[in-house]
Amino acid sequence: MKHSIKTSCAVLALMSGPALAEQITVAGPWIGADEEHVQAVLAAFAEASGHDVRYTGSDSFEQQIVIDAEAGSAPNVAVFPQPGLAAVMAERGFLTPLADGTGDWIKENYAAGQSWVDLGTYAGPDGNDALYGFFYKVDLKSLVWYIPENFEDAGYEVPETLEELKALSAQIVEDGETPWCIGIGSQAATGWPATDWVEDMMLRTQPPEVYDQWVANEIPFTDERVVGAIEAFGEFVLNDEWVAGGSAAAASVDFRESPKGLFDAPPQCYMHRQASFIPSFFPDGSVVGEDVDFFYFPASGEGDLGQPVLGGGTQWAISNDSPAAHELIEFLKSPEAHEIWMARKGFLTPHKGVSKEAFGDPTLAKMNDILLEATTFRFDASDIMPGAVGAGSFWTGMVDYVGGKPADQVAQEIQDSWDAVK
Amino acid sequence: MHPAFQGLITIFVGVGGCIGYFWASNLFIDKVLFPARGPNAGRNINRANMIRPWLFLAPAVFALGLYLAYPVVETLRLSLTNRVPGGGYEWAGLENYTQMAGDPKFREALFNNILWLIVVPALSTAFGLLAAQLTDRIKWGAVAKSIIFMPMAISFVGAAVIWKLVYDYRAAGEEQIGVLNAIVVGLGGEPTAWLTVPFWNNFFLMAVLIWIQTGFAMVILSAALRGIPEETVEAAIVDGANPFQIFFKIKVPQIMGTIVVVWTTITIVVLKVFDIVFAMTNGQWETQVLANYMYDKLFRANDWGVGSASAMVIMLLVTPILVWNVHNARKEMR
Repeated sequence: MKHSIKTSCAVLALMSGPALAEQITVAGPWIGADEEHVQAVLAAFAEASGHDVRYTGSDSFEQQIVIDAEAGSAPNVAVFPQPGLAAVMAERGFLTPLADGTGDWIKENYAAGQSWVDLGTYAGPDGNDALYGFFYKVDLKSLVWYIPENFEDAGYEVPETLEELKALSAQIVEDGETPWCIGIGSQAATGWPATDWVEDMMLRTQPPEVYDQWVANEIPFTDERVVGAIEAFGEFVLNDEWVAGGSAAAASVDFRESPKGLFDAPPQCYMHRQASFIPSFFPDGSVVGEDVDFFYFPASGEGDLGQPVLGGGTQWAISNDSPAAHELIEFLKSPEAHEIWMARKGFLTPHKGVSKEAFGDPTLAKMNDILLEATTFRFDASDIMPGAVGAGSFWTGMVDYVGGKPADQVAQEIQDSWDAVK
Repeated sequence: MHPAFQGLITIFVGVGGCIGYFWASNLFIDKVLFPARGPNAGRNINRANMIRPWLFLAPAVFALGLYLAYPVVETLRLSLTNRVPGGGYEWAGLENYTQMAGDPKFREALFNNILWLIVVPALSTAFGLLAAQLTDRIKWGAVAKSIIFMPMAISFVGAAVIWKLVYDYRAAGEEQIGVLNAIVVGLGGEPTAWLTVPFWNNFFLMAVLIWIQTGFAMVILSAALRGIPEETVEAAIVDGANPFQIFFKIKVPQIMGTIVVVWTTITIVVLKVFDIVFAMTNGQWETQVLANYMYDKLFRANDWGVGSASAMVIMLLVTPILVWNVHNARKEMR
């Protein structure tokens, strides 16, 4: 038996050896429509470089990549939706720093380049900082989606401030309708859409410095400013009249299903707060800008917090060093790599060298402008927090909160789990 | 090269290698090490026969050691260590265990697991026994049995998806696509998001496992019922026992051993239950169970220490039941 395993391994190695040289594997979080988009980008790379590029998508990417890396069978390139996880992987020595000069390139060619470099820079196993992650495909999160026709029919106007947004919600209820569709279900990741709400609320109730302290846990989760942001979210989600199906539906409906309520006739709801990628899950054939549109999730009219914007993004990192992996990162610097996906759906980029005309629809360009015009840009907090919090207790806590647990109790549980990983 | 072709080659080389191993090692023992000729022929044959079983067992022992013993030892080691940046380890003693014991999610998982252990094996065995008894003598019994047994053929995740649709929730006023809510609404009630109702949602998840395991219990118990000597039943009838007395006082005591084996087997399945919870609620809404907690700690929180510690807890809980189960099963066979 022993001997047979060895023999078969040897035979297989001999036969598959030559093919490995040009094969490069990419693992990422995109499945469904997004997988087609990323395949199109990778196909362009495959054609340009002659490599055999294989992409594997998983909606449990965060678990899969850790298992693969620990088992020594990591893909060549991994696409991280969460910088927090990438930081952990870098610390354990599973990632290879990007080629020298990549940081300088980002600073020169990306809008707010320094912040993207900072977000991709982590301490390696030796404790020294290095650039590991290359941001490609950025998401804008502070968006509210609506159907312009429904707004017109009912005589509603796009709100300019958070207070107006709440007044509009109350008005819709008064008219016997439901203002919001909220769904925080996401299978194994259930809860994350709620964390985005809280982050947006944090930016609208507190200055950005407080947000940064919160992300770094310099102020505890139980701080009244944080609990206040959770409760600001609660004003929407815990109000049964404000949410299609009530809070119970918000807790169980999948975020991919949730926006479909906008498109029903009569509409189940009038507004849906979700990031720029959500059109991938709209009903087939709906055109953003015509059938459905978005507005900036408004900032408070009181105080002087400016126009804060919450965003996220995926970064590509080399998890299994090979020359082809570096070539792929190099390819991602080219405007072409960005324009291919721009021409499709749900893609934003801070790359300054791309042609704006490449956007598949003009509204994506409009979105990119929101991203670039923001007075404050902050990265998705849960994606930066340690995995046990950002992809664990924060999610679970939000599910519990929507389910009726008090905010301070939820905050205490999240803080406890954070203390446990320190 | 095409993966299917690679697979075929692997199978060919693997099976060929096995045959080669037994053939060659036998030849080596008989012809080279202890040849059955010359002055020591008799002693050599005895010696060869003493070694031969180990020769045949060696691959299995090696595989078991590699895939069973080594992971257990490694898990134990991980549960007693903490990671340090850079990929190293440091000794942590029982720190991970105390940290885990203080985690409310762990206590929730332990409590839910106990709930599962009480409810699922009992109901599966009871339903299985009932189905076995009721379908035993009727004409369409075989058809009924096949239908009851069918869920056994569905994967846990597949079953979870089916039941998730059964429990599906749509807001009041909308068309309910979940069977359960459709019935509730049809009877004039309000739809409920079943999986988000704390405490009771545990039972909605358990229903899935009971649905799967009843068929298993039925098949085994049905065979045991058939094995009961007719004379004992006839004697009871002659003595004027009613059907309930015959069932509970004559039949059940005679198959008690089998019932215990079925019960403990399902208990072990329950202790390891993961797929159903993972696919339906992922342990949220207070439905966490031990195996899912372990997964959560290992692969989401990246906390290998606590994750391994919870794996050890599951193993410690399973082992005594497993031993008892094997003991009972062997007693049955005698």
